[in-house]
Amino acid sequence: MSKLNETDIQGFVLRGYNMPFARYLFLRFEDAGRAATFIHRLLGEVTTGQRWDSGKPLSTVNIAFTHLGLSALELPDATLLSFPVEFQQGMKKRAAILGDTGRNAPESWDEIWREDRVHAWLGVNAVSLDALNSRCADMLTLMRDTDGVILLDAQDAAALVIDGVPTTKEHFGFTDGFGNPDYLGVERSSQPGQGKLNSNGTWAPLATGELLLGYADEAGELPVAPVPHILASNGTFMVYRKLHQNLATFRSYLNDHAPFYAGGKEKLAAKFIGRWRDGTPIELSPDQPDPSITQDPARSTNFTFGADPEGVRCPVGAHMRRVNPRDAFGFDGKLINRRRITRRGLPYGVWTPEGESVTDSDERGVIFIALNADFSRQFEFVQQQWINYGNDARLGNEKDLLMGNHTGHGRFVVQGDTTPTNPPFVCSNLPSFVELRGGGYFFLPSITALGMIGMGLVDPR
Amino acid sequence: MSNINGKVYAMNVITPMKPWKTGLLRILFFALWHIKPMQKDLINLSFIEFARWVIVPRRSFPFLAQGQVPEDLQYDYLLFFSNFNGTWNQYIDAFSSVLSRGLNLIWRWSEKFPGSVPITPFKEYIAQVQFDTDYYYTAYPYAAANDLKAAHIVQSSLDQLAAQAQTSTPQQFAEAYLQFVVRVQTHLGNTGEAPVVS
Amino acid sequence: MPNQNGKVYGLTILSPIIDDEQVTPSHDLQIRNYLAQLPIDEQSPFALAPGTHLARLVVMDDVIYVGMPACEEHLKSKYLIFESNCDGDLTSYLTGLAATIPEHLNAIWIHCVGYPGTTNLQAFLNYMKSCQIDTTFFFAAVNDKSVPETLRALQTQHAVADFIANHQGTDPTLLQSDFIQLLADLKSMPLQKAGAMAPDRDLKTGGRNE
Repeated sequence: MSKLNETDIQGFVLRGYNMPFARYLFLRFEDAGRAATFIHRLLGEVTTGQRWDSGKPLSTVNIAFTHLGLSALELPDATLLSFPVEFQQGMKKRAAILGDTGRNAPESWDEIWREDRVHAWLGVNAVSLDALNSRCADMLTLMRDTDGVILLDAQDAAALVIDGVPTTKEHFGFTDGFGNPDYLGVERSSQPGQGKLNSNGTWAPLATGELLLGYADEAGELPVAPVPHILASNGTFMVYRKLHQNLATFRSYLNDHAPFYAGGKEKLAAKFIGRWRDGTPIELSPDQPDPSITQDPARSTNFTFGADPEGVRCPVGAHMRRVNPRDAFGFDGKLINRRRITRRGLPYGVWTPEGESVTDSDERGVIFIALNADFSRQFEFVQQQWINYGNDARLGNEKDLLMGNHTGHGRFVVQGDTTPTNPPFVCSNLPSFVELRGGGYFFLPSITALGMIGMGLVDPR
Repeated sequence: MSNINGKVYAMNVITPMKPWKTGLLRILFFALWHIKPMQKDLINLSFIEFARWVIVPRRSFPFLAQGQVPEDLQYDYLLFFSNFNGTWNQYIDAFSSVLSRGLNLIWRWSEKFPGSVPITPFKEYIAQVQFDTDYYYTAYPYAAANDLKAAHIVQSSLDQLAAQAQTSTPQQFAEAYLQFVVRVQTHLGNTGEAPVVS
Repeated sequence: MPNQNGKVYGLTILSPIIDDEQVTPSHDLQIRNYLAQLPIDEQSPFALAPGTHLARLVVMDDVIYVGMPACEEHLKSKYLIFESNCDGDLTSYLTGLAATIPEHLNAIWIHCVGYPGTTNLQAFLNYMKSCQIDTTFFFAAVNDKSVPETLRALQTQHAVADFIANHQGTDPTLLQSDFIQLLADLKSMPLQKAGAMAPDRDLKTGGRNE
């Protein structure tokens, strides 16, 4: 695998920008020709994967399309029909498979997602609010000038500011964003624990085709992609989900159960997730958080579960162990290498310290963005089989405590041993801590493909 | 007609083999049967309840006279019946990623078998040689193989604790009970409905 | 013999289906039709008869042509495949079927060549065994438990999980007496019906092939 052409890949795919502010603009194409002109003129604005040797920009711009959007742009039928079925259907139609039912069902989503109106996602990230506003203003000017695209809605997201400092925390108080995989060819300071496990215990990057179309994947073949090849190559698929967090419910559930757990409240919280709130993996440090681990890239993600089959350190159903089981299913982790996703996105809403009053209805949560080469094999599989079902983890029908669509009688077992501070403990009657407010499936094309779309050069077959 | 009942999927597959290859396959199965470690991967895959391979030699199709026309075949046939948990794609993905060598050994004698890696030709082959189930029954539609194993562990652990429940002091019992909970703590998942199939 | 794996028996039967152009719908279609209407839950014939873990009935109407350069060939008969993973010894299993669900067996196998019916048990057993094909390799995830033992264990597991959840921090004396009560409850609890969805859950069955 040679180095990727970073100038042809949208930067959002290759790296988390690590900028504290974001605004996601949702666009609708009113006229195919003028919308194409908009895309063509946007091309120079789109942030690529090129290294920022001359310093970090103040803001970034990236774009992705729904299938309806590509259809509104009048791409040839041969192309539109060659996209994978789940992308053609869109996330809403996949609700039954994803477990987006009950309170997570499309009928209760935010208005913009209830109908199939969104054609494109325009993601702007920025180092400051000023830079964000100014870049978004540029985008609106461009939309006005070209007159083929309207803005349906915008979603702000931002790193949570705690004690005046932007952090990588989410609203429940956990440090987020440890788990992104390494991929072959993607230049990034690779970190042990972030790719796939070798049988000798070392880690290697995943095949590029697990992230990008046009490259071999872990099964030794190209991911399913639309025709022509050049439209697909260096592109990827993106999941966008607005996940509302029921903070009051989470805090009271933890407070109500902690007194009965001999390990104490913080340890119980850590057992839920698999990391202490500061991010220390409980598998590595079962008794207390350890900043020396979280701050050491050689250690913070470098662990396996094989030596803890009973979940005595990290519970078998802990969120992090469910969504990235590493070697927990045996076979040196080979059963999970084609199920990995890359996380992007930021929280929305304002951080509220513990002790201050909160309600579930406050507007807060996380904009969950995942990138993958194949929705059904990667994101949908994780969501269906590992979040809303438990068989692979040998947990029967139990759902993920944190993300599961519980109906009030979910159960989570904290495995333990006979030592007094680490007893087995059962959490019953799980409420839904997280609810879905909407989202969609997007195609995030390469720079070349954006040019083809912008200039109307996608050939009919 | 459905291949699915609750948490189990019934797969039927039939593939033709040149008769001279059948003997080799029989030797392979003989070894697989008698060398238990070779079955380890199947056991560890943990989502197969029962599976069987049946070789039907070309002259051994049941013949009952009474007007039945005898078969006149060039190939022997390998029948494969599996009862697995999860979706068709999931099952074949897992097979291909961790059992490819074993699968290749079993099916390489069959005509046109493309090998189990890469996966797309393999899936196309399986889809081609699979035939659907008319009627599928399971005594435990709400339980996967893992659930069954978990239940047996809980039952035997309970039986052990039961033996001393009457005779021990409350304190002794409480200690034994904690040991019991630790023994069964990874086997308490509830059973129920299978996820929706796409 | 790989038909047996521990306590579990792997039965494979291929019964040739009568080929009679005079009959409409044809015998194989009549079998398919009957099977399509047969309940798969606790009313299933295999739930009513003892000893079946999992079983399937499949009309194999032909072999499958895999394309060039393989030869194309076809079966002269269609076959009814009966594949069962059942308890114990074959004769007693088949005898159990004949004794409990003769009307279903007869309604299905009446369409097969040479089927003698269940009235003469020995003739029935001989027929079934003459259609049997030996399993070449038989894998069983669990091979040492009978159907009733498994149903019992599933019931126990459910009750134990609830018991543990409801007895956290319970005082030892109460814990012990409640546990003894649990054992008594489990003992007196009627065994859950084979083929039924979990007793306290509303479960859908079936589904489409992916």
